[in-house]
Amino acid sequence: MIKLKNITKIYDVSKNDKVKALENVNLTIKEGELIVLKGASGSGKSTILSLIAALSKPSSGEVIVDGKQISKLPDNFASIYRRDNIGFIFQKYNLIPTLSVKENILLPLVPLNPDSEEADEKIQEVMKRFHIEHKEDSVVRNLSGGEQQRVAIARANVNNPKIIIADEPTANLDEKLSQHFLEILRELKSLNKTIIIATHDPLFIGLDFVDREIEIHNGKIV
Amino acid sequence: MIFTPEVLTIFILNFIFAFFAIIAFVLSVKIFLKWDLNSTTQSQYKLEKQSYLAATIIKYIFAIKVPLFLFFIFTLDKLSHVLTGAMCAAGVVDATPYGTYLFIIKIINLYLFAYWLMLHSADIKEENQPYTKQKFGLFIIAFFLLMAELILEGVMFSSIDVDKMVSCCGSLYSSSATSYISNIFLIDTPTLLTLFYGNFLFIILFYFLKNRYLFAISNIIFIIISLISIIVFFGTYIYELPTHHCPFCFLQKDYHYIGYLLYALLFGGTFYGIIAGFINSSQKERAKNCKISILLSSVYVILLSLYPIIYFIKNGVWL
Repeated sequence: MIKLKNITKIYDVSKNDKVKALENVNLTIKEGELIVLKGASGSGKSTILSLIAALSKPSSGEVIVDGKQISKLPDNFASIYRRDNIGFIFQKYNLIPTLSVKENILLPLVPLNPDSEEADEKIQEVMKRFHIEHKEDSVVRNLSGGEQQRVAIARANVNNPKIIIADEPTANLDEKLSQHFLEILRELKSLNKTIIIATHDPLFIGLDFVDREIEIHNGKIV
Repeated sequence: MIFTPEVLTIFILNFIFAFFAIIAFVLSVKIFLKWDLNSTTQSQYKLEKQSYLAATIIKYIFAIKVPLFLFFIFTLDKLSHVLTGAMCAAGVVDATPYGTYLFIIKIINLYLFAYWLMLHSADIKEENQPYTKQKFGLFIIAFFLLMAELILEGVMFSSIDVDKMVSCCGSLYSSSATSYISNIFLIDTPTLLTLFYGNFLFIILFYFLKNRYLFAISNIIFIIISLISIIVFFGTYIYELPTHHCPFCFLQKDYHYIGYLLYALLFGGTFYGIIAGFINSSQKERAKNCKISILLSSVYVILLSLYPIIYFIKNGVWL
């Protein structure tokens, strides 16, 4: 269960220039829910994602995940929380272009220091699930956008996180690849993962497996 | 006024320390007065960010200041070559009225800064940061001591007159000296050695009894008794001279810089003993600190004891 209570987030651009990204937001997301956060650019969708992922702290209010107040976690504990609970899918994939598919997927496992057999087993499993196993040793920069997206999804899932966060996941994909991404989402949903997607892509509107669509406008839930 | 590369280095570092310490002090006062971890207000989140900045500043100042103590002694020792009459750092300390006070405040700060670093380390290991208020409160006190040290250091080095003759350690550390140091020579050797080894045995006893408070207190007493024992008794065996009691000369090359090792062992052993008593860390962490303390203090006592034993074996007499 994810709870955002009276969240306000203000970005200090300069001493006299402050941007209120979120204002008094209250939101509860149940375990296994798939939520789509909709809204124009700058509405505050990505800020909500970064707060849930403990990438940033609110200016006031609370972010509670599974009863733990993650908005109060010191940085070193926030990193552990992210490592154990969150899988990220970014708009631009954020892969390391000079590493192979397998090496990119391995990255989230490195801090856990698993033995090579265990790590390999996990990597093979996610590569198969997201249909990228045939590119295992290919360097990521040589892959197509759709393939890079699948590597990013595989990397987000290799730790088996409870929460998947996707920020504009289809922004760099054509329609066919976007449809394929929706199939992957459906599969992730069937695994009972809590999924939060921030998007302004109309493709996500009215999908049968989406539990809720939440409209954000000027930092407020509409 | 005396300017050597070492003194200039100390001045530049002190200026940097003072600048950043003032920033950390302002933040520490705010944190100490307003910290409430349970609060989710804007001001508390701001304080949490500021606490990270302040703690980082303090950590780096103290982490540099602690080993810099050895550099300070090294500087004094080097300065002794240019001061008429000085044979070692003792002469430089005595060259101005501020030297002794600076030395005392430096020793206090050494333990205080190292204690702060351990408190900070224990604090960031816990999700709920249990020592935040305590560590910033401690820094407020430490700030004044740090500033006092920096000012005294500046005043002391500025007041040294190279043309003025200073006393040598032989006259400063003797029973005939007119200063308060001569009082420690009133203690007779058997009593002093009983106190020294007795104190060490108490440390071991409290270690096995797992009484952390008494263990810490015995370590505090051990610092004082050790320093007196070095001056009155052990020093004479290091120098192999019954009249030479200086606690600085054995920092020099002639004695293979053994003083640095002895003082580092004494500081390390007693420091870990003190924090084992006064920081509420986990049982595992406390046991580790106690073990380090016992190990360092044991090496210290053995090393120090070897000097009279070897002297006796070589010469067949005690000094």
